Amino acid sequence: MSEALLSVRDLSVAFGPRGRRVSAVDGVSFDVVAGETLGLVGESGCGKSTTGRALMRIVEPTAGTVTLEGVELTAASGRALRERRTAMQMIFQDPISSLNPRRRARDIVAEPLDCWKRAEGEERRRIVDELLAQVGIDPVAYGDRYARQFSGGQCQRISIARALAMRPKLLICDEVVSALDVSVQAQILNLLEDLKAEYGLTLLFIAHDLAVVKNISDRVAVMYLGRLCEIGPADTLYDAPAHPYTKFLLGAALEADPEAPRRSEVLEGEPPSPLNPPSGCRFRTRCPFATERCATETPALREVAPGHQVACHYPLVVPVRDRRTEGDGAPTGTTPPAEGRAAG
Amino acid sequence: MSDETLLRVREVTTTFDTPQGRLTAVDGVSFDLAAHESVGVVGESGSGKTVLSRTIMGLQPRRGVSVTGSVLLNGTEVVGATEEAKRELWGRQVAMVFQDPMTSLNPVVKVGRQIDEVLRVRLGMDRSAARARAIELLEMVGIPAAVTRYGAYPHSLSGGMRQRVVIAIALAGSPQLLLADEPTTGLDVTIQAQILNLLDEVQGRLGMSMILVTHDLGVVATRTTRLVVMYAGRVVETGTTRDVFARHRMPYTRALLESSPKVSNPSHTRLAAIPGRPPNLLDLPTGCAFAPRCAYATDRCTSERPVLEPADEPGHLFACFNPLPLRVGSPS
Repeated sequence: MSEALLSVRDLSVAFGPRGRRVSAVDGVSFDVVAGETLGLVGESGCGKSTTGRALMRIVEPTAGTVTLEGVELTAASGRALRERRTAMQMIFQDPISSLNPRRRARDIVAEPLDCWKRAEGEERRRIVDELLAQVGIDPVAYGDRYARQFSGGQCQRISIARALAMRPKLLICDEVVSALDVSVQAQILNLLEDLKAEYGLTLLFIAHDLAVVKNISDRVAVMYLGRLCEIGPADTLYDAPAHPYTKFLLGAALEADPEAPRRSEVLEGEPPSPLNPPSGCRFRTRCPFATERCATETPALREVAPGHQVACHYPLVVPVRDRRTEGDGAPTGTTPPAEGRAAG
Repeated sequence: MSDETLLRVREVTTTFDTPQGRLTAVDGVSFDLAAHESVGVVGESGSGKTVLSRTIMGLQPRRGVSVTGSVLLNGTEVVGATEEAKRELWGRQVAMVFQDPMTSLNPVVKVGRQIDEVLRVRLGMDRSAARARAIELLEMVGIPAAVTRYGAYPHSLSGGMRQRVVIAIALAGSPQLLLADEPTTGLDVTIQAQILNLLDEVQGRLGMSMILVTHDLGVVATRTTRLVVMYAGRVVETGTTRDVFARHRMPYTRALLESSPKVSNPSHTRLAAIPGRPPNLLDLPTGCAFAPRCAYATDRCTSERPVLEPADEPGHLFACFNPLPLRVGSPS
């Protein structure tokens, strides 16, 4: 078995005081294997961004463990935590507000190097210029410009360069292209694919756009109201979703094709409040297949095909083997990345 | 074609005076809209699509903006019309659904009263008739427990529900033309599908015409009959939605289509990204505004501005000196 770079077990995050507690993330477990891109998709309020932040401990998990290369981040603190965190970097949604408008591109990218005293003088300059060039910002012409002088797409490129400065193993991308125009979005997606190959990066790609997530991911995990519904290889999951929610979500995605059949099944209603989530399966209030069992028993993730797991009592794909409960400590959601796909 | 024309837009140019100079946001745009028709206006940020829809509505600040050309709505000229004349149009002839339902509703007024206002001021209904009609409208746009929601404040509603309220307000005066400017941007996909279906349904039921302004080609693909593709304030291609998708001639249209990822493509499909970014409207190139990013650009493109010329199909126009050859078969 290829070992996981990042291992998340029963991660929960809750906000607010007792009585008004919002369970943003509830018992989420998954692995990210070195070299793969795991897409984390879901609608607003499903906990995908909170999951990403909890991995970095930008928000503190209330329960569960996060293990990066065998080191438990959730147990680390102080300098040890900060040191481990250099191996994982995060890029955020709004590229303009994630950069200080009054600093120069070069200084922004150099900041992590300065913090950790990784390089100085001539070497520092060489590393920074190389990073800027890699993300498509000409260091000679633009390196000394201020962040405020760049467009959104360019700011996102600078953010990527800054994240790469520490040579991280894992890059957490939180809605990194959703604020960009389509033509610029394509540039950034292609850039991430190129950098991933070049730096041997592993990506956790969090986004709401189903087409974007499929495009960049090897595997995709779907979240609904704080829980993981389904996780599996991108192409399989999109072709044959096993969770009813995934099916509706994909059905609602708009295809830029006038000949595409208009799907009639539209998911009715809106997600319930995370202040008071439904018992059992959290999707049951909107699910056309829900029974009493869904209200009383929380479905656990189980395998329906190799590497394809679903948390549903009545999955749309028939499980390979219905009983697969032995060895319940076994990691969930682990599959080696598809090795067949080379640079294409 | 012309007998049922509801809206006639001719050579509309909207310019803004900014501290950096004069900015042309919409530049010589012309198109017609028939009754019951829905047209999509597509473009990236800065393409002028929103300014165009506001110009059609006659919504501009009084200072620093100049509009030339003609917008003929059901025989009434909007450009240069007085505020009084425009107020006669708003609500009953034309209504608008804006992008952000959070900011287009008044946060301190109950939603019912915001719908009532249209009915009482524009249609002269009395209080109780307006209330009954407002509840009817809330039901029509699919708001459950409409009677309770009538007395709710916008903050207690979700984004999707707020957008339904905005649509109810727009429909209150039974307008003939509905302008929807990015009506689903910022909403979740499942909610987006609900709102688009709702717009479709009310458009059919009330026999309205609709202009759907969006950056998302997926939104217009199956919901409009014709498309207007804009770039840097100009129309670069227009035609039936089918022709624009399958038989487009302008390289920008293709770039827009091919750079967006598709759910039907396998994962890791390389995207055909176009280099650069949309131009600065204060500093537009002399010729074709897309030329600096275009793979087919020649010297002529940088010196001379292409005008719209007809393609093979009726009603299909494009502005390009080096149009793309038609591909055999229709691309998916």
